[in-house]
Amino acid sequence: MTLKRLALAGAISVMGSSAFAACSYENTTEIKMLSAGFEAWKAVADAMSECGNFKAELDQEFRTKQPAAFEANPSLYHLGGVSNGTVTPLLNAKTIRPLDDLVAKYGANLSPNQLIRIDGKIMAVAMMVNTQHLMYREDILADLDIATPTSWDEVYAAAAKIKDAGVVDYPLGATMKSGWNLAQEFVNMYPGFGGALFKNDNTTGVNSDAGLKALETMKAGLAFMDPEVLVSDSTYVQQQFQQGKIAMANLWASRAAAMNDEAESQVAGKIKMAAAPTAMAGGAPATTLWWDGIVVAANITDAEADAAFKLAMEGMDSDMVQANNDAAIWLVQGFQPGPLSQGAIATATANPAPPAYPSTTQMGLLHTVLGNEIPAFLTGERDAAATLVAIEEAYTTAAKEAGVLK
Amino acid sequence: MSNTSKAMRQSLALRLSSNAFLLFWCIVAAFPILWIAVMSVKSPVDAFAQSPMDVIFGPNTLARGDGLSVIDIALGLIVLFFAIRWMFTRLPTWVARYSTGSGRVIGWLLGATAYALVFLLVFFGLLPLVLAPLNALTGVLGEPVLGLTTQHYVAVWGENEFYRNFMNSMLVTAGVVTISLTVGTLAGYGLARSESDLAFWLLILALIFRALPHSVLVAGYLPWFINSAEILRPIFGDLSPTLYGQPWAVIAVLVAINQPFTIWMLRSFFQNIPAELDEAARVDGCSHFQAFRRVIMPVMWPGVITTGLFSFLLGYNDFLVTSLLLDAQNQTMVPAIAGYFNRETTTTDQVEAVAAAVSITAPLFLLVMVFQRQIVSGLTAGAVKG
Amino acid sequence: MNFKTFFAFVAPSVFMMILFIALPLVSVFIQSFQITQPVMQQLEVETCTPGFITQTCVTELKTLPVIGEDGKIQTTTEWVGLQSYRNVLQMDKVWQALSSGRLADILQIDFWKALRFTLMFTLLTLPLVIGVGLLIALAVNNAARAVRGPVIFVSLLPFIITPVIGSLSIYWLFVGDGILTAMMEQWSGTNISMFAQSWTIELLMYFYRVWHVAPFAFVIFYAGLQTVNMDTLESAVIDGASRWERLRHVIIPHLMPLIVFIALIHLMDCYRVFDEIIGFRSQAHVISLQWLTVDFLTPDDAGNRAIARASASAMLTMIGIVFLLILPLRRTWRDHKGSAHS
Repeated sequence: MTLKRLALAGAISVMGSSAFAACSYENTTEIKMLSAGFEAWKAVADAMSECGNFKAELDQEFRTKQPAAFEANPSLYHLGGVSNGTVTPLLNAKTIRPLDDLVAKYGANLSPNQLIRIDGKIMAVAMMVNTQHLMYREDILADLDIATPTSWDEVYAAAAKIKDAGVVDYPLGATMKSGWNLAQEFVNMYPGFGGALFKNDNTTGVNSDAGLKALETMKAGLAFMDPEVLVSDSTYVQQQFQQGKIAMANLWASRAAAMNDEAESQVAGKIKMAAAPTAMAGGAPATTLWWDGIVVAANITDAEADAAFKLAMEGMDSDMVQANNDAAIWLVQGFQPGPLSQGAIATATANPAPPAYPSTTQMGLLHTVLGNEIPAFLTGERDAAATLVAIEEAYTTAAKEAGVLK
Repeated sequence: MSNTSKAMRQSLALRLSSNAFLLFWCIVAAFPILWIAVMSVKSPVDAFAQSPMDVIFGPNTLARGDGLSVIDIALGLIVLFFAIRWMFTRLPTWVARYSTGSGRVIGWLLGATAYALVFLLVFFGLLPLVLAPLNALTGVLGEPVLGLTTQHYVAVWGENEFYRNFMNSMLVTAGVVTISLTVGTLAGYGLARSESDLAFWLLILALIFRALPHSVLVAGYLPWFINSAEILRPIFGDLSPTLYGQPWAVIAVLVAINQPFTIWMLRSFFQNIPAELDEAARVDGCSHFQAFRRVIMPVMWPGVITTGLFSFLLGYNDFLVTSLLLDAQNQTMVPAIAGYFNRETTTTDQVEAVAAAVSITAPLFLLVMVFQRQIVSGLTAGAVKG
Repeated sequence: MNFKTFFAFVAPSVFMMILFIALPLVSVFIQSFQITQPVMQQLEVETCTPGFITQTCVTELKTLPVIGEDGKIQTTTEWVGLQSYRNVLQMDKVWQALSSGRLADILQIDFWKALRFTLMFTLLTLPLVIGVGLLIALAVNNAARAVRGPVIFVSLLPFIITPVIGSLSIYWLFVGDGILTAMMEQWSGTNISMFAQSWTIELLMYFYRVWHVAPFAFVIFYAGLQTVNMDTLESAVIDGASRWERLRHVIIPHLMPLIVFIALIHLMDCYRVFDEIIGFRSQAHVISLQWLTVDFLTPDDAGNRAIARASASAMLTMIGIVFLLILPLRRTWRDHKGSAHS
């Protein structure tokens, strides 16, 4: 059986590389793309490679490589996949080109919502939004007669009930792996308490009342979480859900589809999505909105840019979306919001709405600092006030070195 | 030590405890590796199951119709037993029969590869063909009892085209070993035969280089590699290459990083070859290079093979340099596997990564089996006299 | 051998080391005294990003780099002396902690935290690796000839396996309810979380490192044992030396150069411990010096990397390794002098 399957797999992969059937035209200019490697990008890259002459690099090191690769002349890649976090260095160095004329030429199917405009010029075309929102085990909450929590206080109250009932190992999961993930949790929570990350003079405003509350709220959750939560990233939380170990988590929308994957999940069909919990009454959901999209390099010829953008539009068309409907919350026409995307949509359309993750140089610096300084607070080595002071100091050092503070 | 004298004979207690310790160590050494091998043939639910029994027997995998019957297991184990036995008995005799002298290394490599291929064909090609009707005939004994699936291997090698990464790894590793040894033997010999203080300080400097954290160097290369076409244009014109993504550029980096260790080991080895040998050749009118080629080269192989093995491990196992400096088309296996674990992965991706991880360990197995004797004899001959 | 011939022999090797190690090292050294930063300006920028269904546009004051005439970001480079070293070492806080007597506060500073672990890791695993390696070598040497081949093969596995994969395979055995943690829970009857506190993580890291490197020590010691002079051993037996005395007075002195060699290699490799931090995801509890450098160098989403501090921390790491190596290297110096005059 094995040999036959191997041969079959080989045959399929050979066919895959030479088929142009699904593409409406044949691409003749060689195009290269560098992007992150998650499901949605795989879908888009596959759709683009059907047109031929296309090489995609879906790389977890893309954040390290992208700024330098786009600065080379000629740029090493024609297309780049970015999010509102990673577009910053490209925008700052002006290594990506305005797309207005290309959108006018090929973008008939794009909705205005997709066009990322900086000072009126289209600099990127978004294909999907992503956000962290509440996922919960509907069966457990229904059994224990708990209403869907809408605030973090309710989440913790529900968690306490679930813990008493003892139906799962840990009531709550969280993406609190120290570093980027943990910092992101703070960046979700802090604006939820009405805090401003930066003051006008570029110093950080986290050392404030809202900062204290955000830290304390994060720590309050630890009582309901796996003691190893400081190593848990999204994949780990996703697995805990799939194995029925946790009942609730504030998790990325792009992870929703995996919950119903029969091959991996022991709880398929039992998980529902709701808006991200609010941190304080009347506040916005404590989360940030993200988009992912494509940019075109500046350091390439106009003809190449033309071909690259045409190809990208082919990859981001409604055929691709229909084939991969649940892989993301697509912004592309043809997307059918299913039950899995309800939570993300409720989050994004909440009033007041959560902020978009800020694409600024300072945010990058602060994010790193948060990721390095908060663990000491959660492990109990340092209290909240001292942690906020440490964050402020470390940010100031980093910002002075990067030239954003004098 | 076959002619151990009476006084050297060991007491029973000592023998027992010594062997018990050895057994314990072997379990500790092999268990994690065996365990990931078991994980790689289970469905994602079983692979990350809590109970070890579930991981071993794979009820979920079995429920999905992939499994082995008692007969499968029995016959498989028999074939495996003889395969391993012959590897240590027949294979060496065959290699000894068909290759001689310096061709021995090539003979071993070819022999081992051929052996591995035949084994794969028999085990995964012939055996299932024989077993399918046998299982159907024998009723209860033919019922699957042990969950096992090869789907992850098929996915990795088929759909994900892992063989490309395999070829890239082979290219990089072969390049690193050959260049590293060529350059290193010359330098090692030079250092061993020179008594100047310069040679000593060169050696110390090399050692300090070896102690450097690689990340510091590697992060420094990236901008140069990406912009090399622009930087080199004034010198080479339009022929100037972009080094980023080029396997040979990565080979050069790895060779350089590996040089300190290589020359250190080879120097110790050459010091153990009596200097009278090449001095005699020099008296006969040979230059240093001729003496090196005629007198030293024939006797240096044990040391070179041992050092080469360390170079192989470095090139094959490297993650830092290859992940940063190679693009997707030239990606080697280790960063490709790490790619399965990036920010957005699924449990299936992880089990596929485990399958890939087990696959890349196989060539290392083969290599150690082939060169085990040479490592020990090379080290004994003094490659590491400090 | 005259200088010219010597040079011809070592030139290719030296050339590669200069190009790929020495030159980057010099640039790191220079960068540790410099700060290069972009020229920044403040601009009012309107940014429109997608919500669901409608866009949200915000106008805000942004700090952006100035683009020069060549199309690249304008930068200024400034000599700042020891500023970056001060930023890494944070001596003011160290003095403060010392004068107030709260020594634990020192370990809250990243560099000292990393140094504490790196040194402890290096110095604790060193005797373990040598001891375990020697034990295995002696046990294999004692074992029947027939089993030696397979045992050597199995023993070498932890050493040859790709480090990334080796550490992951151990991580999986213990993380969450990994099977070994589950087993320990069954025995002890308590809930165990190996990755919840720093000492258990450190313990696992020590275990992994010894597991990974002891085979290397083993194979070298084993090779060394093959050359033990049998006559000396026999005469020691005749003199009535016990097994332990023979080990201490004959075998260990014979293996001494190898012990120094392994110590040297181990000190170097351990001092730049990095794989374990990533493999065991221990950043929240335990960090190492090389991890600190890599963390400074890793660009954030906005593309910032703290190159000056990374260079300073790299240089400090280097100074440390030179100190550690002085002791074992003195021996090599004596050997060199000895062989030169003999």
